[in-house]
Amino acid sequence: MGLKMKALKKSVWVFHVNAGACNNCDIEIVNLLTPKFDIERFGIKLVGSPRHADALLVTGVGTRQAAIRLREIYRQTPKPCIVFCIGACAGGTGIFEGGYHVAGPVDKIIREVDPNAIIAYVPGCPPKPEAMISGVLKVLSTL
Amino acid sequence: MKQEELNTKLLEIKGKLIDVEHKPHNRIFLLCESENAYAVNKFLFKNVALRFITATGIDSDDCFEILYHYSNDETGCVVTVKAFIRGRDNPAIESITPFLPGAEWIEREIHDILGIDFKNHPNLKRLILADDWPEGVYPLRKEAKK
Repeated sequence: MGLKMKALKKSVWVFHVNAGACNNCDIEIVNLLTPKFDIERFGIKLVGSPRHADALLVTGVGTRQAAIRLREIYRQTPKPCIVFCIGACAGGTGIFEGGYHVAGPVDKIIREVDPNAIIAYVPGCPPKPEAMISGVLKVLSTL
Repeated sequence: MKQEELNTKLLEIKGKLIDVEHKPHNRIFLLCESENAYAVNKFLFKNVALRFITATGIDSDDCFEILYHYSNDETGCVVTVKAFIRGRDNPAIESITPFLPGAEWIEREIHDILGIDFKNHPNLKRLILADDWPEGVYPLRKEAKK
């Protein structure tokens, strides 16, 4: 695990998963990738496939329909990988708690696949890009 | 169309209505039974030429209500047809999609979550519920498990 973890922390490639978000968190993630915040200076890059990703940026509550896809995406991501729950919904279902369409929160869905998954939370509705950068850097310094 | 002209035109359909309520100055409710809803909607859309906004489904205590909202864009007046579906077993109402295609998806959505059968709807398939959602369970009905 030592070498794998070192390689993981070197340059984190992220894949963005929308698990039933209202798009506000997604817009902030897009904002995060723009030159203003320029997270490529930390080696963080958005990729188009979970098979290339080191981290998943999950937004949204984790709906019944999306939960199946989210589990499948987590299975396809090479391990070890970090799951970031972006926003209040992903972190703890937020205002949708107890809704008929809710299968989440996201950490519960991920833990059904892998009980030892590395899960980080960035709360906020939506969280600021600065908060996401801070969250990513805190996780990388903790691992 | 001016407000007075709209009010006069609405008098033509009075026979099919239970009641007409003028709430504030720009809000009109036309109350009718579910059997007459098709004719009232067709009259508003074809003869009065109002713009269809959307429909709402409500589970009241003793009946279901379908609210069809129409706008008279010139004055900003919103006309709502409130159709009552009596009885909780097999609630059904005539679909307005055959003459108003814009209502197709909202009727499918109401069918999904309240279980109201829209008769003569061309494509009454599941729209918004998850693929693995069980048949015959309607999440926004009063008896649905909280």
